[in-house]
Amino acid sequence: MNEKETINQHITEIKRISQSIKKNINLMEICGGHTNVILKYGIREILPANIRLISGPGCPVCVSSQHDIDCIIELAKSGIPIATYGDMMRVPGSTDNLEDIKAKGAKIFEIYSTTELINLKKTYPDIVFFGIGFETTAPMTAFLLKNNICVYSVHKLIPPALHALIRGEIKIDGFIDPGHVSTITGLRQYRKIKIPQVISGFTAERILRAIRILVELIKNNKNIVINAYPEAVKEEGNEIAQELLKKYFYTADSEWRGLGMIPLSGLEVKNEKLNAKLKYKKIFNAVPLPKKSACRCGEILKGLIQPDECPLYRKTCTPENPKGACMVSAEGSCAIAYMYGK
Amino acid sequence: MKDFINLSHGAGGKEMHELIKSFNFSNRAQWQDYDDDSSTLDIGNNKRLVFTTDSFTINPIFFPGGDIGHIAFCGTVNDLAVLGAVPLGLSLSLVIEEGFSVKDLKKIINSINLLSKKTSVPIVTGDTKVMEKNKIDKIIINTSGVGIINDNELLTKKIKTGDKVIISGGIGEHAVALLSKRFDYKTSIITDSKPLVEEIQAVKDIIKIAKDITRGGLAANLNEISEKNKIGVLLDEEAIPVKKEVKKLSEMLGINLYELASEGRFICIASPENAESVEKRLKLFNKQASIIGTITENNKLIIQTILGKRILPMPIGRIIPRIC
Repeated sequence: MNEKETINQHITEIKRISQSIKKNINLMEICGGHTNVILKYGIREILPANIRLISGPGCPVCVSSQHDIDCIIELAKSGIPIATYGDMMRVPGSTDNLEDIKAKGAKIFEIYSTTELINLKKTYPDIVFFGIGFETTAPMTAFLLKNNICVYSVHKLIPPALHALIRGEIKIDGFIDPGHVSTITGLRQYRKIKIPQVISGFTAERILRAIRILVELIKNNKNIVINAYPEAVKEEGNEIAQELLKKYFYTADSEWRGLGMIPLSGLEVKNEKLNAKLKYKKIFNAVPLPKKSACRCGEILKGLIQPDECPLYRKTCTPENPKGACMVSAEGSCAIAYMYGK
Repeated sequence: MKDFINLSHGAGGKEMHELIKSFNFSNRAQWQDYDDDSSTLDIGNNKRLVFTTDSFTINPIFFPGGDIGHIAFCGTVNDLAVLGAVPLGLSLSLVIEEGFSVKDLKKIINSINLLSKKTSVPIVTGDTKVMEKNKIDKIIINTSGVGIINDNELLTKKIKTGDKVIISGGIGEHAVALLSKRFDYKTSIITDSKPLVEEIQAVKDIIKIAKDITRGGLAANLNEISEKNKIGVLLDEEAIPVKKEVKKLSEMLGINLYELASEGRFICIASPENAESVEKRLKLFNKQASIIGTITENNKLIIQTILGKRILPMPIGRIIPRIC
């Protein structure tokens, strides 16, 4: 069977099973990479009317709290050299973004790989890495801590967010679990969350297959986790990476944009000397708490509204001039919706 | 507009166009520009002079299959070639950082020399400046070029609904080769950078327009053709040639295949009667040359995928790999 036939078979099966369920089914894809494929191929439109796909909080840039962004901008303005991933450069802080203050002279380095920091540290011994991302990028940050590089960590963990989401305002019937995060975490932590879940790869066929398995699980009331991405995800995950995380970080409550404070969902740096949040406490204490804006990223991240329901969307908030974090990254719901003309 | 320049002003998108518009240059009446890349001047006897210029800064300056010199030569030659012109000569200006290795500089000049011999396009004038250490990043190269073309051979002919879109080879190879150095992965893919003069001359009599695929890849370049000519394009995803390794790597990095730059590929548009001959002639240069789409009326770039039709949007911002 070729890919096209397989896809058609998935669609037929999804329709058949969902008809017999006779209620509305809310599925949430956690990962922004999945959201991208779903919108790119118009998968929402092919699904039967009673299946709703909701985009989850799986874009690291989007869920970073406004206060953390303001703090790192303030640190850069105070003269401390900062290195971070390209995605963070245009995230709007309360008054500036990193790209603009860099143009005005702040020492900010956009890096592709954390190994670049080893060289940067020779010229800038006090460089701070703004560590962002989920279980996938956190092990690379641990490598920097191993090399005595100071880190401002906003790393977050996905499984605690899933726990928070099932207790949230929308009833979620099943999760499409992230592909890359799961390569690190393995399956164990998802099993503690008692709703149907499928770990999926990133092609249209893979996502439709995940949806097909999910509706089957929902129909049969099976609250289990299926690994539909076995070529990349192993039961136990990446144990070396897990050990690295345990060695250099501790888990703490963490503020997620939109979702609020989630218990034990953040990774903080264990070594006090390498923890920028402690080292530069004085600077951060002076950063005011952000004012409320008209941006509705928070509700979009919880799946309560679609991007086009935000009053700023497409009007004052565009990928060229983003007002909210969801419009910045290629994994953000608003940027994806904008790209594909929704 | 912002009161200072940032990187997006140089990324080829909306910000850059707004900035250039604000410059308001005058006395351009006798010149006609195409594509923002080049301009032509009527020089009598039904002939036009074609003129283009480009500055090159690239990180890293050496990458699999090429270097900044290779790109600087081909980029300018190709901007002339896509209008149908045979380049007469190029200028070469170098701005070099103090302390730059002479061996590396010779390597760069050597690639330019080899290409110049191969294509018989001479370097006829130039300039060399050195700037203090840390004032620029290694080297910046500017090349400008001129060519002469008969009026009726200029590749700016009218496109019609039903015309076909042909591509001269596989997409994304330059980007994947270049990114391998930045992201530190191994690949057998090398840059596709090459002069396109021969290929375009081989089909010049049966095509209407040609455009080299550079920054922004197929998505940006076809969207530009669509906007400028007020036409639509329906692409057939399965017909778009791409090497397996390029496809896999773009999936792994989470970057859009259709936004990846080439430096030695072009798209051209021909009438339905001529399309197959164009494809056949181009296949002599690259086996992957293919007809990939049809001109439509609806002013949009649409791609037919395995799941149905969707818009192929204009890329926004810079290419940034996912961190998730």
